Amino acid sequence: MLERIARDRIATLFLVTVAVLLAVGLAAPGFLAPRTASIIWSNGLVLMLVALGIFPVILTRNIDVSGGSILGLSAVTLGLSLNAGIAMPVAISMALGAGIAAGALNGFLVAVLGVPSIVATLGTLGLFRGVMLITTGGEWIEDLPEPLKMLGARSFAGLSVVGIVAAVAILVVWLFLRSRRGRWVMVTGDNRAAARHLGLPVKRIEFLAFVWAGVMASVAGITFAAQIGFVPNQAGSGIELRAIAALVLGGVSLLGGVGSVAGVVIGVIFFTSIDTTLVFLKIPAYWNDLIGGAMLLGVLLIDGRLRIALEARDRAARYRRGDQTSSTTRKLEDAA
Amino acid sequence: MKRYLMRWEVLLLGLLVLELLVFGFINPRFLRPSSMLFGTSDFVQVGIVAVPLTFVIIAGGIDVSFASTVGLCAITFGIANFFGLPLPVALLVGFATGALAGLLNATIIRLTGLQPLVVTLGSLYMFSGAATVLSGVVGANGYEGIGGFPAAFTALGYAQIFGLPMPLFVFLSFSAVLLVLLHLTRFGRLVFQIGQNENAARHSGMPVARVQMLTYVMTGVAAALAGVMLSAYFGSARVDLGSATLLPAITAAVLGGASIYGGQGSVLGTIIATFIIGYLQQGLQMSGVPSQISSALSGALLVLVVALRHGAALLRDIIPVRTRQID
Amino acid sequence: MDPVLAELTSVSKSYGPVSVLKKVDFSVRAGEVHALLGGNGAGKSTLMKILVGLVPATDGQVHIGGQPLSPVTPAQAQAMGLYLVPQEAHIFPNQSVLENICVGLSKPAAAYRARIEALIAQIGVALSPDTKAATLEIADRQIVEILRGLVREAKVLILDEPTSALTPHEVDTLFSRMRALRESGHGLVFISHKLHELRAVSDRITVLRDGYVVFSEMMSDSADADILAAMSPGVTALDARVAGKAQSKDILLSLKGMSGEGFVDISFDIHKGEVLGLTGVVGAGRTELAETLVGLRMRSQGKVTLDGTPFVAKSPSEAVRQGVVHLSEDRQQYGLFLDAPLFWNTSSFVYDRLPFFLRPGRERARFDSYRDMLGIKCASPDQPVSSLSGGNQQKVLLSKCLVAKPKLLILDEPTRGVDVGARNDIYRIIETLAAEGTSVLLISSDFDEVVRLSDRIAVMAGGYLAGALPGGASTDEIAELAFEAGGLAHA
Repeated sequence: MLERIARDRIATLFLVTVAVLLAVGLAAPGFLAPRTASIIWSNGLVLMLVALGIFPVILTRNIDVSGGSILGLSAVTLGLSLNAGIAMPVAISMALGAGIAAGALNGFLVAVLGVPSIVATLGTLGLFRGVMLITTGGEWIEDLPEPLKMLGARSFAGLSVVGIVAAVAILVVWLFLRSRRGRWVMVTGDNRAAARHLGLPVKRIEFLAFVWAGVMASVAGITFAAQIGFVPNQAGSGIELRAIAALVLGGVSLLGGVGSVAGVVIGVIFFTSIDTTLVFLKIPAYWNDLIGGAMLLGVLLIDGRLRIALEARDRAARYRRGDQTSSTTRKLEDAA
Repeated sequence: MKRYLMRWEVLLLGLLVLELLVFGFINPRFLRPSSMLFGTSDFVQVGIVAVPLTFVIIAGGIDVSFASTVGLCAITFGIANFFGLPLPVALLVGFATGALAGLLNATIIRLTGLQPLVVTLGSLYMFSGAATVLSGVVGANGYEGIGGFPAAFTALGYAQIFGLPMPLFVFLSFSAVLLVLLHLTRFGRLVFQIGQNENAARHSGMPVARVQMLTYVMTGVAAALAGVMLSAYFGSARVDLGSATLLPAITAAVLGGASIYGGQGSVLGTIIATFIIGYLQQGLQMSGVPSQISSALSGALLVLVVALRHGAALLRDIIPVRTRQID
Repeated sequence: MDPVLAELTSVSKSYGPVSVLKKVDFSVRAGEVHALLGGNGAGKSTLMKILVGLVPATDGQVHIGGQPLSPVTPAQAQAMGLYLVPQEAHIFPNQSVLENICVGLSKPAAAYRARIEALIAQIGVALSPDTKAATLEIADRQIVEILRGLVREAKVLILDEPTSALTPHEVDTLFSRMRALRESGHGLVFISHKLHELRAVSDRITVLRDGYVVFSEMMSDSADADILAAMSPGVTALDARVAGKAQSKDILLSLKGMSGEGFVDISFDIHKGEVLGLTGVVGAGRTELAETLVGLRMRSQGKVTLDGTPFVAKSPSEAVRQGVVHLSEDRQQYGLFLDAPLFWNTSSFVYDRLPFFLRPGRERARFDSYRDMLGIKCASPDQPVSSLSGGNQQKVLLSKCLVAKPKLLILDEPTRGVDVGARNDIYRIIETLAAEGTSVLLISSDFDEVVRLSDRIAVMAGGYLAGALPGGASTDEIAELAFEAGGLAHA
């Protein structure tokens, strides 16, 4: 049983999510409607994009906690340039440019200078937020133009433009990780020295992972601005923690090298479902942090214990002599 | 002699003097003894958490949850006081909350074997949530916080001891104790050795788990101390009392010489770094830079410091001067 | 003459003031196996790492296929057809064996499955391409590394001690693969300590000592004696064994039917003042046994008595308190605090006997007394261990063990990565200790060393005790026991 839960995290998490939703549905009729699914999807978009960005960074055994600040920085870049009368495609490119630059700075610090990723991104978390506050002078940006808000409104088949962008991003990451170069990201996190030995450009891989995280955080920033129509001071703050929590929940190992896109998606959906449920059950908003934090710690605790149990098994398998054939024929591809 | 001159702490002290001179040049009022002395009350809480945080980092861990532990302890202390418990008991409640918070972090890290950063990020989030919920329980709103402390207590926030403002006195005496603990005792030696090589420490039979746990508990207790002190200083306990200490405290520890990989660090360095960061923020504010931005500059400073230290290490590798022998 | 595939010209390498390689010339031709021999720390591995771009050279040129290349990167070197099978396998624990082998190749892993399965069958090991690599034993990990080298069909394949964990049968098949590669025009570099292995496949031999090339000849033109003389000239040769020492009949430690991670049903006694050699190939379960004794691993079965009373240690500090002290095989990872001052290291087993307020003066004095006794070469007790050479680091580690005043000293590979001079010193220290009544359990993969030092010899293979031999037994007798049972466990 333990083996099944741990090895097939995604299916287990999916079942838990469905169970939670059904339970709420029983308690509060009217919850189980297609509308709810659509709400969960659009509520989870920003988190999904940030999580998809951090995902490759964590696969390389680094961490990026500056995502929320990059989100804010990009949203402000977009908002200020739109309100200054710059055309939307140009403004969006500028916002993406801000994300690329921010990600490149993180990547430079970590991959080139060798600064521990947590220190580097904790620093840039403050730095990017500071730059954002300097550019806005501490003011909120309001009255964003209608065309931008249209991106966040449902248009095709119940999906918004930003929703479709997110779906494409999921597909891209999935395809990439299946490719030969995508494997490089996984193995770099699994054993960096070995990856270097086998001739992989580890520094470039790490650098690009951070740039990707920056790009996705800025797409999340654009989505955020489009969805709510204004940019508050604290836009995106704390979302990196939720993204990391969702990733861990979805079976992505913080020790690098292990994780799947399906896990990321279901992890994000699980978190968003819980939030949506809290709103639906009219639990006061100030409980959110407590519940979110407790859930994250709970997940970490369970995850850590499971991992330790699995490692003990792998270890036992290594020391079991004589009957190797039986232990080796098992299919272990989704091991995590 | 050269050995002492080249120490990182001496360099830091030089940096501090330079900084004071520059700000004094821009604005002579900055160097008035009274403003320099009483200005410290605005930032010594950073040092109070940064010094035990230095222990955590040296022993190979990291804690970011202290930033909300400060608020949580202030709130439990405020609530205990609100329900009419005598002041010593209320203080005990506050400090016990801090110790428990540290214990919880250490236990989860121990049980899961996960990186301490991730675990304490989770508890950073949860502790501030818990503080918010608790302050909601007694009907306090976020801006005013829980007040109603005895006048004798709030007066402490502005009291002076040996001519020093109370917060500064608390910080200096607290750090002096920790300085001795880290650099002159067996416990301090264990903290260093565990951080330098956890495997070797385990193979030598050292109580790795217990020492690491103590460092987290110390940080929790220090966060409680900061929370209580800030409550006295502001006259009310608020959830967000410690949120502005997160980056500056980590910066102070790293700038003070602590290596994020463990095994290196100095209490004295962290103390000096606290003053560098604190006076930097104050100097900027007195030169007309808004406070929001000056605190964000701590982030920039952190990035700069580690980039310089690692950049320098990189240069050393390219131009080999290190004496590492291979037989 | 066949074309030169890769060539190092006048290559030097230094780490700070210490030079590891001094103007070394080395080349590999098409269709030859070039043997590279040298003592520990002679610079063999560093030389090969320079060739494949893992370590930059301080001076000199690298030519691959006639083209100058400087500085080389690992990716470039591989693209130009060089591959190094390292001494210790680099494994991606969370990937399958197949992925592990194919990372860095130009096509996705699935494209190579058939070839790899064929290679596995040829070598004759039980290894499934879908196994998660984390579960592999050391020997299988080494096979994965060798497969990486074979599947790449590198023009130049460098094998750094590939046979240390293999059974004789696996070694034979590896050699026939190597010969086949040679026939098809590949160039190979083969690093090994075992002269008979080198002789079996090599065409040319180069011997490195202290960073210099001291010997380079065709294999057929060179006699064993010449090669050995080049490796370690007479002045630094090892002292001979002191035979015929009186032995105590008192038993200090007795194991009965002990089992744990990686070893099964081990029983033996250690007498007082005796050196018991415990040997076997890598992965035989010796280190696991030692670590279980001192409480680093779980004991699943068996009785242990020390001085006649039951002995249980849940942690190394409990073992130390009862007089059982363990010197770890990996001194840098498990033994020493590299960045700490020397005297901290010396005190680290007895940390709980230090006063709460430390007295560093006393500790320094204690270190100084061990410095004289063990002949540790250092400038001051305050310098970090990382600034010492391997041999002196090992002596510091010994001082750490001796401070604890052991009744039983377990030494796991005490001379790994130690030069000949320091090795002699360590042998002398072990003999002095035994003469003073300390029992020593000497774990070593170096059969010569075991023969040289032991009063009795126990051999482990595949987790079992394969047999016991009297002191002075020949290395061939040991090899027979060590490999025979090892082969059985593998098949």
